[in-house]
Amino acid sequence: MKHITKVYGNLYANDDVHLSLNQGEILAVIGENGAGKSTLMKILYGLEQPTEGEIYINGQLQRFRSPHDAMAKKIGMVQQHFMLFKTCTVAENIVYGSEPRKKKIFFDREKAVKITEELCEKYGLYIDPRRIVGDCPVGLQQRVEILKVLYQNADIIIFDEPSAVLTPQEVHELLNTMKKLAGMGKSIIIITHKLHEVMEVADRVMVMRQGKYVTEMNKKDTNIEEMSYLMVGRRIVTTKVEPQETTGVVLDIDNLVLNSGEGKNILDGFNMHVDAGEIVGVAGVSGNGQPELIQCITGLMKPTSGRISLAGEDITGKTVGEIREAGCACIPEDRYLWGCATQATLVETAVMAHQYKPELSRRGLINVRNMQKFTNKLLNDYDVRHSGLSQKAGELSGGNIQKLIVAREIEQNSTLLIAAEPTRGVDIGAMEFIHNRLLEKRKKGDAVLLISSELTEIMSLSDRIYVIYNGKAAGEFTRAEATEEKLGILMMGGTLNEESKNV
Amino acid sequence: MNSAYIASILNSTLRSTTPILLAALGSAICSRVGVFNIALEAQMLIGSFFSIVVNYFTGSVLLSVMAGMLAGSLVGLIVAILQVKYKAADMVIGTSLNLLVNGATSFLLYLIFGLRGRLVDNRLVSLSKINLPLIKDIPFLGRVLENLTIIDYLAYVIAILLFIYLFKTVSGFRTLSVGISKEAAESLGTKGTRVQMRMVVLSGALCGLGGTVLSMGQVTMFTENMTSGRGFIAMAAASLGQNHPIITIVSSLFFGLCQGIGLALQNVIKSQLTMTLPYIATIVALVVFSRRSMKSKKAAKLEKM
Repeated sequence: MKHITKVYGNLYANDDVHLSLNQGEILAVIGENGAGKSTLMKILYGLEQPTEGEIYINGQLQRFRSPHDAMAKKIGMVQQHFMLFKTCTVAENIVYGSEPRKKKIFFDREKAVKITEELCEKYGLYIDPRRIVGDCPVGLQQRVEILKVLYQNADIIIFDEPSAVLTPQEVHELLNTMKKLAGMGKSIIIITHKLHEVMEVADRVMVMRQGKYVTEMNKKDTNIEEMSYLMVGRRIVTTKVEPQETTGVVLDIDNLVLNSGEGKNILDGFNMHVDAGEIVGVAGVSGNGQPELIQCITGLMKPTSGRISLAGEDITGKTVGEIREAGCACIPEDRYLWGCATQATLVETAVMAHQYKPELSRRGLINVRNMQKFTNKLLNDYDVRHSGLSQKAGELSGGNIQKLIVAREIEQNSTLLIAAEPTRGVDIGAMEFIHNRLLEKRKKGDAVLLISSELTEIMSLSDRIYVIYNGKAAGEFTRAEATEEKLGILMMGGTLNEESKNV
Repeated sequence: MNSAYIASILNSTLRSTTPILLAALGSAICSRVGVFNIALEAQMLIGSFFSIVVNYFTGSVLLSVMAGMLAGSLVGLIVAILQVKYKAADMVIGTSLNLLVNGATSFLLYLIFGLRGRLVDNRLVSLSKINLPLIKDIPFLGRVLENLTIIDYLAYVIAILLFIYLFKTVSGFRTLSVGISKEAAESLGTKGTRVQMRMVVLSGALCGLGGTVLSMGQVTMFTENMTSGRGFIAMAAASLGQNHPIITIVSSLFFGLCQGIGLALQNVIKSQLTMTLPYIATIVALVVFSRRSMKSKKAAKLEKM
């Protein structure tokens, strides 16, 4: 790709960008959210037309008017938001577009299964072809997307932030898959801002910032610090956490049990407490009861038994509103599902749960001007990049909407803040920003409950760490005691003997 | 209750089922491609009207049936253009078309024939009644299948053909895929909007055919608002039948039975009351079904955790 420029209105999403890719190579394109990586890939895949610039494949000039043209030139893309038919089977999804037929018009589903099996065999990516896609975990759904691209015979495969929605285990498998595919002669472009992934798989790294090509280098000539400096344009300071005295219990969870209604206990006698002035991390592989734990605390689910108290008050079984009132704010795990209404404007998003404040509404009438003022303050203080107050929440980039949600919840000034995966899928700059805000909250003497599948995040922020496994607290560590190995063993359901405890 | 009585109830069940089944199939294919079409009533009524108009002037059954289907398709096309292409609100479009066609047919009835309320004329030709050679001599079954029209049989054939198309062919698979995720289908090169519009027009044709049966089947006449809510009953039937052509046959037969019983009881109970039976059945069936599906959804949700 040469001299690629893409202009939206007066915004240069891509400004004279070059990109080259060799066969069998993994190229990582890195940059912050909004650096123009995705736009560049959309142009390559024919989803967008460049304002200027040319694309050459094997030396030949190409014009892609639609993904169809790109697919014909053996370019495939695994999109961040999966394009799958959830109620269809894996095989049906994979063969879509060039389905095997019987008697010209009938869909030969048996053959589709066979094709899928052969494809799985060929690339060593196993999946049950008859399974319904919607029943597959996210990692397998992504595998369907990859197989789909392979079925279309792609030689160049683009992965758009492929690890954003995956658990650490799934990420690991994905990275192995990429290496395997590259080994088979496929050329791969991976868009990401997770630098350890880059270090693991990439051969070459290209950095973009604010729509511009910054530089590129071989992976072996660079390191994480240099890459993050180039991405953000300034040094990222590793946050140092000063020890701090805690004052009194804020959240106390006693023997919490949640039954699924089918005899299985999702939460099975969970105990924990969070004190004022500390950040408590809950580490665990997803699917061990973390979302249910949050939903029990915030009142979205009623626990089967056990007690939850907030600042001395029993809040078990109270309504969401009462619990918020009692001093609990929550940054939810899924920002689009729980965190905001994607069709709401920024003002509406920002004032949610703030609307009863006297300066925002009085006697049921809202004060529009103050709401706008309040929103502007949040947007500025938390550096949310937006195009106007009437913009829809769903139109902000992932990192920016997350910053707005973090702003809204922190500004509740509650005694307890629950932060679930607060930095999932956001770039380094935004991550650093959100982490600092959480630490400020701690400094003010409030309690923060941090639930994350990123061990590094848990370890760098938390004063104390619980490991959740099968709905139980499998272990509790102070900052000093915790090591990645110990947490890892407990997360996988192992036990620590005395010796390893003393390590 | 003797068997002749039951046979006559079943016979009127089959006759009442046909228009509902045809419209329900139309509703089902719209739902399957993700279009909420509530203008079924309009599509049926205009079919009833124009089949009778063409019937009156030409005396040809074939032309009448075609006119009914064409008229239904045209209303379907309006729905397709406004609702699918220009994404107008489905409730508004559907409701206003239903009201519009109701008024327009009454108005045209007056304009063309100078009549109010109904058109009955001995020039009108009805659909020919079929009495199957051997079966008509079997005592019970012969009575059940007595005097049905070809469309009464055709409706079931159409249902089966639709089933084969949707679930067995490649083209049907892609059609269904639009309903599951239009975005994904379009990203893979299927023209989602076009597929949706095609299905809405087809639903218009099916409803138009249903309307034709209504005005040229058991009776040969047109009365104002003669569909009297059958389009909505058809929506219920399609939804009960999970928008599956074969299950929709069963649910349509259920509503047909309710109408059959209602007609039969007319001599026993006040007819105003018996006429409500199909509608009460609609509500009850929808409540029962939605509770069942909510339960299964809940179970599925818990399973996922």
